[in-house]
Amino acid sequence: MRNRASTSLAKGKIRQSWSKYNLYNLQRFRTPATANRTFFQQKWTAKALSRAYHGEQVREGQWKRMFSKRIRSVIPMSTSDLAADDGSKTSAGRGSGLEKRGRDSVTARLTPYTQMAFAPLERRLDVAIFRSLFASSTRQARQFVIHGAVTVNGHKMRHPSYLLNPGDLFQVDPERVMFATGAPKTKFERRETRQLKQKEEETEGETEQAKSEGAEAKEDKVENAKDTLKALMAQAKTIMSKDKDVLPAKRKQELRGFQKAVRRVLSRSETSTVLTDNLESQFSELTLLLKAKRAEKKPKESKKDKKDSTEETAVAEESEGASDKLSEAFKSAAEGGEVDTSELSDEEFDVLKRALTQMRDNPIDNTKSYATPWRPRDYMSAFSFIPRYLEVNQNICAAVYLRHPVARPGSAEVPTPFGEAVSTPAYGWYLKRRW
Amino acid sequence: MAPRIQSRRVSNALLPYLTSSPSSSSISSIPSLSPSSQCLARQFSATAAPQTKLRRTMFEWLNNEGAALKHHMPGQTNYLRNPRDSNEGGGNRPFPNNPNFISENILSEELRNEIYERVVEKKKSVRAVSVQLGIDMKRIAAVVRLVELERRQRAQGKPLALPYARAVHEMVPTTPLAQDGERQQFHEPINDLPAHPTTGPQIFYPVPESRSFTRVDAGRVFSGAPALEREVAEKITHPSDLAEKAIENPNSIDWVGKGENARQVLQPADVRIPHPQLVKLELDRAAFPEERRKVAQLHAERMERQEKVETERRERAQSRREKSIKHVEPEGGRFDYRFSDAVFTAETTGKDGRAPWAPGRRYGVPTNDRKRGVVKIPTRVEA
Repeated sequence: MRNRASTSLAKGKIRQSWSKYNLYNLQRFRTPATANRTFFQQKWTAKALSRAYHGEQVREGQWKRMFSKRIRSVIPMSTSDLAADDGSKTSAGRGSGLEKRGRDSVTARLTPYTQMAFAPLERRLDVAIFRSLFASSTRQARQFVIHGAVTVNGHKMRHPSYLLNPGDLFQVDPERVMFATGAPKTKFERRETRQLKQKEEETEGETEQAKSEGAEAKEDKVENAKDTLKALMAQAKTIMSKDKDVLPAKRKQELRGFQKAVRRVLSRSETSTVLTDNLESQFSELTLLLKAKRAEKKPKESKKDKKDSTEETAVAEESEGASDKLSEAFKSAAEGGEVDTSELSDEEFDVLKRALTQMRDNPIDNTKSYATPWRPRDYMSAFSFIPRYLEVNQNICAAVYLRHPVARPGSAEVPTPFGEAVSTPAYGWYLKRRW
Repeated sequence: MAPRIQSRRVSNALLPYLTSSPSSSSISSIPSLSPSSQCLARQFSATAAPQTKLRRTMFEWLNNEGAALKHHMPGQTNYLRNPRDSNEGGGNRPFPNNPNFISENILSEELRNEIYERVVEKKKSVRAVSVQLGIDMKRIAAVVRLVELERRQRAQGKPLALPYARAVHEMVPTTPLAQDGERQQFHEPINDLPAHPTTGPQIFYPVPESRSFTRVDAGRVFSGAPALEREVAEKITHPSDLAEKAIENPNSIDWVGKGENARQVLQPADVRIPHPQLVKLELDRAAFPEERRKVAQLHAERMERQEKVETERRERAQSRREKSIKHVEPEGGRFDYRFSDAVFTAETTGKDGRAPWAPGRRYGVPTNDRKRGVVKIPTRVEA
């Protein structure tokens, strides 16, 4: 099965995919005109349009067997209304209540039943994976299932057409999810990966050099702590700079240097007995160090901050975003001579802390199949929503299929890009006694 | 297929680390060469145009109106807008043509952990937590399962998708956990009444005006059951009385029809909603408007009584099930064999004793996973 999700601009069909082609098609979609068309033609078009989106990977006969004319719906009940009336008031008089209540006529919204026409397809495993935002298209979700990256209730499930039962827990391999939802590698990054591989193959016995480097790092210990911190700041500043001409390789080098500097600072503090290789402990150590320093000089801080802010308002206005705030902090730290990390305000500290946490969680790693550090792929946000019948835990890429999707007054839970003008004739098409 | 127009985009290396800041992200993109200038550039070229008109218009849209959709804004949705809608802001309708689909809130990380803490560590009942936080009971059970799984995986050092999780929580609207002193924002309606299929057809049922016709009577009419006896009907002061009865004794619900058509009488909404005890609470509030403490005490007592009854019933069923299964664990063997007696009645084996669902093998008949034309895809996976 070829993935046609990204290729048809001429037909302009909407698919279950996050492709930018699909986004464009979605954007230019208009409800088909009904004037001068027979009812059969209208239904045919509606069916074709909606089937291109719903279960395009499912054969028509298969879908026809799945279709059910019964549509699940719920009515949210108000307990105070239930308590106030046992039903005899509504049935009093001639059977429609003694007096007309104005409130209901205003709030009563219609239940969009026909928007639920394709609800049985949402039970499929591949569709549910796509709906939980674990894959960028249903086709990709299907591939994940077939390739054995998906478990249902802890057992590997290789059938994309498995129909989930309420309460089923499915889990996708997090690496696959990161690949599916992350930005792809650029050609520079791909080349770097290739070179890394080649280098590894060529030089396997050059561990001695690394050892000598380690010795160098030890020598650095003698340096003044303040100087290293300043250097650290300076390095971070260059990383944070918005210079667009910096090559990705160069940026990576700098980032690596920054990490190394952090490590150096840590190794200097007397309390650190833990191995600096352990990233987790390393991070907590650093935050502890920073916190301690901040606590010492808290009274001074506020004064200096004010001064800094008055000096740099002009600079601040030019830039926007928290990244700039941090870079400013770094700048002030680097230029101020005596300035230490303790000069940072709470907010800036938070930003730095967050940046460090994220650096730990989201490292640069060329062995991955996606661009690192991981960032969401382009146009992902336009497609990201999670329907109510799924409960998703993104950290472990697992989700529970809570119940079958339902319609309720004013909304339907089946995500469909079409309005009722399309879904109603499509529903009619699949009824046994066709309209 | 990659766009043939090269769009040069350079972004800061640390930016993905800083996306969760409340202020807008500062990713900038350099728009590609505009199509008109490109046309001018190849005025004298004889080679075919590298792009069709459709592709050109697409990239034009992507570089102009669509550019805002390329990257997400943390804490805000970024969906396609209906051009006819002029209102600003994120909006929660991802499909401009479908006003009936809403991108609903998801639980925030803190709220998820809070649920787990309340249910697992503080040993609160799922029902109570559901009412407190305004979250469906099924969702609470699922959250507990998922957080448990997450903790186990963290302990085992398995890979997690943390940056992905952060990005999704930035893109999708979330229900936050209330700060101290704030009221918790309810996540979803918890008292959803599922529409029963028997209520579909419209029924004309003449009732004398002097008779009070309640939800209980309507349910009986829908399921084709005879009207209640007068003495029985008079005992029911409010339909929610039946809810308590049904919880304490589920066998108290009447049946209608015979054989395969036998079905339970449709119960009033007060019984069928997930939290029937809240109706009683409202009734208590109406009865004792000034005595808050008394109402709370009555509610707590009722809840305790019902929970006790439910756990007792569950334990009884469990013990009965265990009694009917015989465990055999051979010495030195790896397996635990469980035997349960086959019951041979008309229901379990069919009239001729050879129904497809009957226990045991039938001579000469292949099992279902061997037959041609039978779907072999499993219909359920045991947890």
